[in-house]
Amino acid sequence: MATIIEINGLTKRYGKLTALNNLNLKVEEGAVVGFIGPNGAGKTTTMRILTTLLRPTSGEAYVAGYSVAKQPDQVRRVIGYMPDFFGVYEDMKVWEYLDFFAACYGVPTQQRVGMIDDLLSLVDLNHKKEDFVESLSRGMKQRLCLARTLAHDPQVLILDEPASGLDPRARIEMRELLRELKTLGKTIFFSSHILSEVADICSSIAILEAGKLIAHGDIEEMKKRLRSHRLIQLRVLGETELVQKMLVESGLVLQMMAGKEYDLPEGTVRFDFSGNDQELSQLLGQMMKADIPIVSFSEETGDLEDVFLHVTQGIVQ
Amino acid sequence: MSTTTTSPRFTWLRQLGQNPMTIKELRGRMRGRRAFVVLTVYLLLVCGLVAVLYAGFALGSNNRSTQMAATGKSIFVSILTMQSFLAVFLSPAFTAASITSEKERQTYDLLRTTLLSPRALITGKLVSALSYIFLLILATVPLQSLAFLLGGVAFIELFVSQLLLFISALAFGLLGLFLSSLMRTTVAATVSSYALVLFLVVGIPLLALFTLPFISMMMFTSATSPPGWVAVVLVYVALAIGSLNLPATLIASDVFLTEYDAIFYYVDTIDRYRVVIFSPWWIYLLIYFTFSLLLYWATIRQVKRIPNV
Repeated sequence: MATIIEINGLTKRYGKLTALNNLNLKVEEGAVVGFIGPNGAGKTTTMRILTTLLRPTSGEAYVAGYSVAKQPDQVRRVIGYMPDFFGVYEDMKVWEYLDFFAACYGVPTQQRVGMIDDLLSLVDLNHKKEDFVESLSRGMKQRLCLARTLAHDPQVLILDEPASGLDPRARIEMRELLRELKTLGKTIFFSSHILSEVADICSSIAILEAGKLIAHGDIEEMKKRLRSHRLIQLRVLGETELVQKMLVESGLVLQMMAGKEYDLPEGTVRFDFSGNDQELSQLLGQMMKADIPIVSFSEETGDLEDVFLHVTQGIVQ
Repeated sequence: MSTTTTSPRFTWLRQLGQNPMTIKELRGRMRGRRAFVVLTVYLLLVCGLVAVLYAGFALGSNNRSTQMAATGKSIFVSILTMQSFLAVFLSPAFTAASITSEKERQTYDLLRTTLLSPRALITGKLVSALSYIFLLILATVPLQSLAFLLGGVAFIELFVSQLLLFISALAFGLLGLFLSSLMRTTVAATVSSYALVLFLVVGIPLLALFTLPFISMMMFTSATSPPGWVAVVLVYVALAIGSLNLPATLIASDVFLTEYDAIFYYVDTIDRYRVVIFSPWWIYLLIYFTFSLLLYWATIRQVKRIPNV
């Protein structure tokens, strides 16, 4: 797939403070990338540079092949930006708000009427079309903002904390919307603090800390790469002494947990395995040969929080 | 295939009518009762003023024709004074908030990421702010025209005064807009706009009042009188300073018309020099039109700039 966002050696300094330090990142077309990091890590700065709102101190960034510094108009044509604040005109009606921004993007008048209805359907605000923006709830305003970013049918959506400040229901609705946009083929580059949401929607993540990119890639691959060992859970019928003996003899088990001491049910053993897939398969084969009544044998995947905690050091909070 | 062609002469007008910023701002400004209430109250005030002046004429009259002309002139000057206040003080008040309010409600960044050009943004803001001012000014022209019934005012006086008001509203509106693009808050933009407007409207006459007598005293009462060309230079300096100030320009242009019957200039002899003395109104137009163009260009540049912070 083609690269749609390319960031090369991007640096931004505010006086003595370095907000971004030689950031390099590539985002593939159609990908949904979660941009995560602690507060002050440089996420918003990166997004403001990508959306042509801020000039970098050094380095280059390209969106759909256009330089954000040298071709801002072309970049604006292909991006839809939603900042981490509402940015709505309270004294406008919902349809007027969308009509205004569509006109700002040069959408012809004849196309706008149908397009506004489509966008309102997408964000489930059709029934609020004639209402004033100020009467909308926070979640509705956020959805309206998202609809605004789609007014000119951009290739790339850059969303800064799209779910921040929303109640759980509105957050779920926002997540569903992003999923829908993903199916429409949009490239979504969004920042978030809520790791579980990022994990649910994203195809890949980029973790930023103190202005530096410390990890980037496919979520599953990253989980594997960042784990030095694998956590396996085994359940057998009856006693586990023989199993434990075999695991110790294999020489590949770093730590073993079994019994009430570890709050595990009877017949369950959990262990850290340092071998590869082949060695794990051999171990399972040996147990089966020894006629151990195995009920389940599975690898625990861990979650994004593990990855995040592993790679970040809490420099910025 | 059929094609429709629009005269390029009117393309700018069509673009202005379709400018999303103009439409949005006008829609917001004229929505609700506020705009209509303000217009009604303003017209009632002007009507009241005209009624008082006319009553003064109707009640006391020894020489009716002279009195009629004087009343006509009073009506004209009184309404012109109110219109001048609108042009000078209301237009920067409207425009000074136009960009800072976008910054304050955090919509400025959204606008800057759209394809709306800085020129369209600025023009839209300016047109919507000034159109309301012009509406207020034009709404009083019929009342001002009563002066023609009573006499004492020529059409050219009305025309010149309205032209001066329009260019003043444009220039001061653009001043407010420029400062709005420069500042972060509406308060800062409004205060700095008023400071500059007050300097141009009040500061310059005060400065002239204090410095010119002092200079002439120094030059013309010394033992040796300065050469004649100095007096000519001083006349031109006074003319240039006067042409920076709206009240001075309105008064001086009226004097030129009524006393010298001069629309553009008259020729006078100072010492042994024949001097062409220009009517200040068109110098004022020239200065403030150039000033407006510069401010328009500077504001677009400011909005276009990708900031470092």
